[in-house]
Parts: sequence; structure tokens; C-alpha cells
Amino acid sequence: MPVQTIVGAILLFGGLVAVYIFLFLMNKKTPLPPGCENLKADCEGCKDLSCMNNPHHDKRKGGSVV
Amino acid sequence: MSELVTLLVTSVLINNVVLNQFLGMCPFMGVSRKRSSAIGMGVAVMFVIVVAALVTYALYYLVLVPLNLQFMDLITFILVIASLVQLTEMFIKKTSPSLYKSLGVYLPLITTNCVVLNVCLVNISNSYNFAQMLVYSIGTPLGFALVLYIFSTIRERLDIANVPNPLKGNPIALIVAAIMAMAFSGFAGIV
Repeated sequence: MPVQTIVGAILLFGGLVAVYIFLFLMNKKTPLPPGCENLKADCEGCKDLSCMNNPHHDKRKGGSVV
Repeated sequence: MSELVTLLVTSVLINNVVLNQFLGMCPFMGVSRKRSSAIGMGVAVMFVIVVAALVTYALYYLVLVPLNLQFMDLITFILVIASLVQLTEMFIKKTSPSLYKSLGVYLPLITTNCVVLNVCLVNISNSYNFAQMLVYSIGTPLGFALVLYIFSTIRERLDIANVPNPLKGNPIALIVAAIMAMAFSGFAGIV
């Protein structure tokens, strides 16, 4: 594989990751509209604990499970 | 023109992304308990898929192909979709609080929705031209939203139906999904 292709791939990947991190941080900093502080999805579809909509996360924080 | 209509009908009904290809099962089972949730999720998915398909299509043919980096399509599309979801969420937060109230909670879920990635990859692997890409990218989420809405209306009725105890909840929902898949297979005769 030519060196230019490898460098191009690394630059593209790095650029996309940088864009994602930037947008993620910007999104985190953007204040929520009034009344949207405690939005919840009515999702009890699966046992995937990595999903942020799983009620397990509320239980862990001491909140009530819907 | 007839080719585009066929592609639209196929992507919405015949090759339905949920009932025929078994993609997007997580939101299909998880966010179909209420009609309002199903509509919110359907609209959010439709919006993200159309935008993601346009961006990834442009990125593939304007950046990846000229630089001979086609092998990077999967990782590029994943990062583009994740970034787009963040951008969309931020944009909606700023511009339309009411829209954010109805869609905001579903936007992070879409990052992991394999339907979005599937549409972006199929657009490339099937070598669609721009019009075909646009029709497929509208038809697929339309089919997803349609099935999600129908399923949610059935599940609302199931909540008050007399279902045997062992089948209550997800088991009866899966049986309903199977019957729906069989019903949708009947659309194969249209084209």
C-alpha cells in the first residue's frame, strides 16, 4: 500500500474523530431548552445495560424505575 | 421514473428494513409501547437517515474515491453518523425547543441504530446514482416508521387484551412481529 494512502487514511480518521469530539463537547455545552431537563424514553425493550435509556441507570442513581 | 417508484415501493414495503432485513430491532421492540413514542422515533430516524445518506454519499465520491480510500468507508460512515447526531441534537436544542421535547430523547439512540449505517452502505454497494440514493434513503426510514407505528398501535391494544400470562410483554410482541412480517411478505407480488 502506498505511503500516501496510509497517511491519507490516518489524517481522515484523525480528522473525523476530532470533528466528533468537537461536536460532542459543543453539544454537551449547549444548554437544554426549558422543560427538557428530565426527558425520558418509554423504553423497556431489552436488557442492554450499555444503552442510556435502560431504566437500570435510574435505579443506580437512586431514582425510581419507570 | 418507474424505476424510482419501484425502488420506493420496494424499500418501504417489500424489503422492509425491520420485517424483511431484521435491522433496527432495538428501537422496534423498545420504543413501540406508545404511539407518540413511535411517531417521535420514526420522524427522528427519517431525518437523520436522509441527512446521513446525503453526507456519506458526498464524502464517499468526493473524498474517499479520489484519495483511493474506499476501504475506510465503514469507519468513516460510523463517525459521520455519530457526528451528525450530535450536530442535529445541538441544532434542535438551539432552534426548536418544542421539537427537542418530542424528539430529543431519541436522538442518541439513533447513533446505534444499524438502519442508518445500512442505508449509507447500501447506497454505495449498490452504486446508486443521486436520485436512486435519495429515493432509497427516504423509502427505508419511511418503511421503518410505518412498521413502528403499526406495531405500536397493536401493542397498545395488547396491553388491554386478555393474553395468557407466559406470553405477556415481549413474547406476544414478537409473535405479532412475526405475523406482521408474514403479512408484509405478501407485498412481494406488487413488483
